[in-house]
Amino acid sequence: MKIKQLTNEKLGETVFCAVHPSGLEIRVMPKKGYDSAYAVFGVKYGSIDTALQKESGEFETIPEGTAHFLEHKLFESEDLNAFERFAKTGASANAYTSFEKTAYLFKGSDKIEESLEILLDFVQNPYFTQETVEKEQGIIGQEIRMYQDLPDWQVMFNLLRALYEKHPVRIDIAGTQESIAEIDADLLYGLYKNFYNPANMVLCVVGAIEPEKVFDIVEKNIKETDGRKIERKFEKESAKPVKDYVEEKLSVACKQFLLGYKEDVSGPLLSLEDELASQIMLEAIAGKSSPLYKKLLDEELIDLGFGTELFNGFGFSCVMMGGTSADPDKTVSILRSEIKRMQKEGIDPVAFERAKRKTYGRMVMGYNDIDDTANLMMNLYFNGYEPFAELEACKNITLEKAQERLAVLKEKSSAVSVISPIE
Amino acid sequence: MPQVRILAEQVRFVSVETDSFKTGRISVSMALPMDEKMAANSLLIYLLKRSCKEYPDFSLLNGKLDELYGASLSAGVTKIGESQVLSLSLTCLDDRFALTEESIAEQCAELLAGMIFSPNCKSGSFGADNLNAEKRLLIQRIEEELNDKRTYAFNKCIEYMCANEAYGKDKYGTIEEIQNVKMADVYSAWKNLLSTAVFQITVVGSASDKIADIFTKKFSKIERNPVKPETVFIKRGRHFNRYEETYPVNQGKLVIGFRAGMENSRDNIHAITVMNDIFGMGTYSKLFVNVREKLSLAYYCWSRLVASKGIVLVEGGIDTDKEKKVSAEILSQLSDLRNGKTDPEVLESSKRSLKEKYKFTTPEGICAWYAAQVLEEDIVTPESVAEGVEEVTMEQVCEAAKKLSIDTIFMLRAQEEAEDED
Repeated sequence: MKIKQLTNEKLGETVFCAVHPSGLEIRVMPKKGYDSAYAVFGVKYGSIDTALQKESGEFETIPEGTAHFLEHKLFESEDLNAFERFAKTGASANAYTSFEKTAYLFKGSDKIEESLEILLDFVQNPYFTQETVEKEQGIIGQEIRMYQDLPDWQVMFNLLRALYEKHPVRIDIAGTQESIAEIDADLLYGLYKNFYNPANMVLCVVGAIEPEKVFDIVEKNIKETDGRKIERKFEKESAKPVKDYVEEKLSVACKQFLLGYKEDVSGPLLSLEDELASQIMLEAIAGKSSPLYKKLLDEELIDLGFGTELFNGFGFSCVMMGGTSADPDKTVSILRSEIKRMQKEGIDPVAFERAKRKTYGRMVMGYNDIDDTANLMMNLYFNGYEPFAELEACKNITLEKAQERLAVLKEKSSAVSVISPIE
Repeated sequence: MPQVRILAEQVRFVSVETDSFKTGRISVSMALPMDEKMAANSLLIYLLKRSCKEYPDFSLLNGKLDELYGASLSAGVTKIGESQVLSLSLTCLDDRFALTEESIAEQCAELLAGMIFSPNCKSGSFGADNLNAEKRLLIQRIEEELNDKRTYAFNKCIEYMCANEAYGKDKYGTIEEIQNVKMADVYSAWKNLLSTAVFQITVVGSASDKIADIFTKKFSKIERNPVKPETVFIKRGRHFNRYEETYPVNQGKLVIGFRAGMENSRDNIHAITVMNDIFGMGTYSKLFVNVREKLSLAYYCWSRLVASKGIVLVEGGIDTDKEKKVSAEILSQLSDLRNGKTDPEVLESSKRSLKEKYKFTTPEGICAWYAAQVLEEDIVTPESVAEGVEEVTMEQVCEAAKKLSIDTIFMLRAQEEAEDED
């Protein structure tokens, strides 16, 4: 493997990158002064993958929640399960599924190389039976129920369902009780074979480990498969939301809302510059030091949990803002009119500079944390970027660019999701 | 090993000098007894976080934080044993990364000290608008925390279990108490805080000498009469009670409260820590392996040790009609633990896993470890606890498990579907 070294001088960090003949991308950032290492082995297969491209190029529909279900099942094995194996090294292992990926990870300070071998091994060797798949339906069923009771989760998915008509970002990551009932062992093995091939995966390791060791372990432990990169299908969504208002009653004490602006995306992914410019723009117009935030707080319409977010991925991009509010309607109408006003009058240059500085500072701070850094490196890879690309991109964001991203928020493309107490 | 200095009576300064990180962390913990002043204390800490004399407005203060490269300020209220601990913390970019020649850490320490010692307060008033706003925000914060039924059930179990102890009270005080707080109460809470609270300033990063000087100067102007909060430890559950409430939710929440047989927060702590870990913390634990993996009864079912109060709580998200089955399984697992029916390999797994947990990889993690010791006489390092855990034997685990005595069950029942419709 040819090893490429990338250094960010200001940050004082270096990443070693290589591509294994199987197509697996490897990125390693050794960190001085750290006892522990964090490794994440990710596959580009998440909850939005509700269709699988066959070799003929056609797409076949698959049930909702398969990526998450497989995540649970890969820990199982014929002999010792993955948790039992990690228990021997002391590393704490876990996994998560998001909209666009499934990630398997561990963190440990002792026997790091052994843990890395276990990680590569268990993810590459599925073993489960129809009986254990059925057992898992019970556990995942409880997980789904738990999320259904969480207002933060519900308010977001209700918004996504209001904004998106077709895009699978509208479905719950774990699927539904009904969709997981459709999942059986054969289906999972078939999906595993397609999605879990090294060409569709990345390994990122950060912390107390020598890059050469990681490359050695990969050489010895990655199986060559005839795998191919999985392509996703980009289908353009209508610019209009499905509904402009949704409300659900839950057993809560106070109302909660999210206002979402759907972006009319023309391609599958936003550029990194667009992403960062949106983040800085949102910080400048509605961050904690903005006049808008103060106004809403003074009028007792929001609390300190109010926040904004650019939420984007393959084929979807929207801006969300919200939190707890005694009067979501009034809050939303102020937010909408203030956004319109700022679109006309422009972002305050002082606020822009401050927001940019904050965003940059927070990104640098993120490199403290080996967990965050490894996950960031994985995300950059899956989106087609080199390590540290986000720091460079941040420096280049101009006020005009932020203004452009503000102009993307269109009222006719917006929707509101509200959770209110059961009377 | 951290450096420990005493800056004034019951004011401890604990610093961990390191250049491993890109950020530094400064945290000020202030411990008070859990008494009728809790609501006023809670409001005080959020008022102190809202603004200060130098930046007398929410937006100005947050603007200053943004300029300090997005330094992040947080305020907190927690219970450590029977003490209400207020805290103000700042995480900031390390000086090495500043774009100009400036010490971010010193500026942050000045800012933090200014917030505590020179608040935005004129002739005994923090401003009626500010107080009202913080009352509203605090009540909303309490309500939001209760929106999560897991937290709600957990707190409810403690409330019933410790109904006759200070620990049974909510960390913020009640909503009614918060509503009734007057400006004079907050002002006297501030005076009381500076004079009587047990302080610990915990610093992880650089410039700790300068930071210590900044705080020493501030305390030199204060007349200190510290009051050290004490915690009552009840070694055994006296009478077992079960309570329940029903809500229109999808999943039931079961919480079982145990007394751990401890006499103080460090009593037999190593054995109890390992016992609790084997009972229901790790993926090798009895609850994970049996309640979740073998019986598929829950997505989560784990136990938590609250050493500062000597209690253990087991919680799980379950189907309401499976409560009996789940509690029977939990108790049967406890019985196995007491009777030594534990694979020796599990004990080793637990020790390895705990050892890893004591390796902190962020300034926040290190800082929190030391800050949690605000009320302890001496500071212990994670390394020394790891060593203690290593020595624990299976017999000690069994003995510790035998000392667990059940006290209270709280069950949050999910309303049945049929009742769900109007």
